[in-house]
Amino acid sequence: MSDKMNDRKLVLPGEKIAEGKYRIPGAFVEGEKTYAAVIGILDAENRFIPLENKYIPMAEDVLVGVITDSRHAGYDVDLNLPNNGFIPSRDIRLTLELGDFVMCKVREVTETGDVDVGEVRRLPKGKLVSFPCAKVPRLVGRQSSMIDMIKERVGDIVVGKNGYVWISEKADIPLAMETIKIIEEEAHFPGLTDRISAFLNIQKKVE
Amino acid sequence: MAGNSDMKLVVDGKRLDGRAPEDLRPVRIETGVLHEADGSSYIEWGGNKILCGVYGPRECIPRFEASPYRALVKCRYMMSPFSSLEEHSRSGPSRRSNELSKVIREVFENVVIAEKFPNTQIDIYIDVLQAEGGTRTASITAAAVALANAGIPMRDMVSAVSAGKADEVLLLDLGKTEDNLGQSDMPIAFSRRKKDILLLQMDGLLTRDEISRMIDLTLKGEAELAKLQDETLFRFYSAPKHEEFRM
Repeated sequence: MSDKMNDRKLVLPGEKIAEGKYRIPGAFVEGEKTYAAVIGILDAENRFIPLENKYIPMAEDVLVGVITDSRHAGYDVDLNLPNNGFIPSRDIRLTLELGDFVMCKVREVTETGDVDVGEVRRLPKGKLVSFPCAKVPRLVGRQSSMIDMIKERVGDIVVGKNGYVWISEKADIPLAMETIKIIEEEAHFPGLTDRISAFLNIQKKVE
Repeated sequence: MAGNSDMKLVVDGKRLDGRAPEDLRPVRIETGVLHEADGSSYIEWGGNKILCGVYGPRECIPRFEASPYRALVKCRYMMSPFSSLEEHSRSGPSRRSNELSKVIREVFENVVIAEKFPNTQIDIYIDVLQAEGGTRTASITAAAVALANAGIPMRDMVSAVSAGKADEVLLLDLGKTEDNLGQSDMPIAFSRRKKDILLLQMDGLLTRDEISRMIDLTLKGEAELAKLQDETLFRFYSAPKHEEFRM
């Protein structure tokens, strides 16, 4: 392992990652330099990859959530954020129920951190798993290579930027969950997509 | 109890446990030890055993305390009933644990980038399972690792160590007996990059010259602790957990 870690460096909060001011997720600027705010990896090209991160909602993000309360004016939705989101019922045509899974897009984030969501779609029955949001880009893969492969081999799956992952009830849920767990644990090791592909091949053969 | 005692604490430049005056006790830190916490750590520092869990940013309770400008950092330090002698034999808040919770909270309020998470709180829970002097410094060192493990943005890492004086000798990292029977005790917390002093308490009497010498001494201890924190996080994040990833 160590030979592959050699050209990558583990960076702790407060360590300098770049000379000059850059806006990088998980980093902050002080003076004329950029420092890591969270633990991460600095790869061979000096790119900073956070290993742990807290989700900060941004406009246009696609999120997965669960309805936690239904009121006259709309629905409360758990979006894996400190505070629940709210879907006004006049914005949507469908009727939602407690425990329904939804997929939505962030329209706006207010200054106090509340999110305004739109384009709400109900997801069919399935299972919701939470996933560390620093590793969501890895689960999706470059040009969604990873998630497309899982979709093809395991079944329908939706990944929200907030770290909630919905797996369709028609998919092979135990296999999907195991795959996701491996991706979570090995997210920052090279060659992950090939390894997951090999893992799925073996699993499919066993069946 | 501080002050004079007939007991010799430093004999021929060696302390009761055989350490030299500028030595730390053996320290071992682990991270990612709790499954349900967002971040966690466990530290063994001499006879201290401390478990630390970090949660958040999450909904601020009670709601009226929430700030629309920043996340609140909350800390709860607690000694287990079995951690020490009878003086801590009842759990629950006490004058001492309230003070420690406050000073530890103030250390982390200075480094956590709280402005990113309005209307929320970040909780740091510290449970002392076994105490042998210097729990506040060990707690701070462990909590910094837990916060890094939780992915809470911070401007700097923190570690803390105490210095003191016994038998007219300046000592690094006081143990329980040295703390209770020695002449003076000074816990101190540093931020790693800027070496800001985030905690400084003092018990007993010291001269100005002694204080500046003790700060130099604790800076050496801080460098050692920083290395240990690095190693802990490196071990946790660079070890693959699955067989097929081992090479």
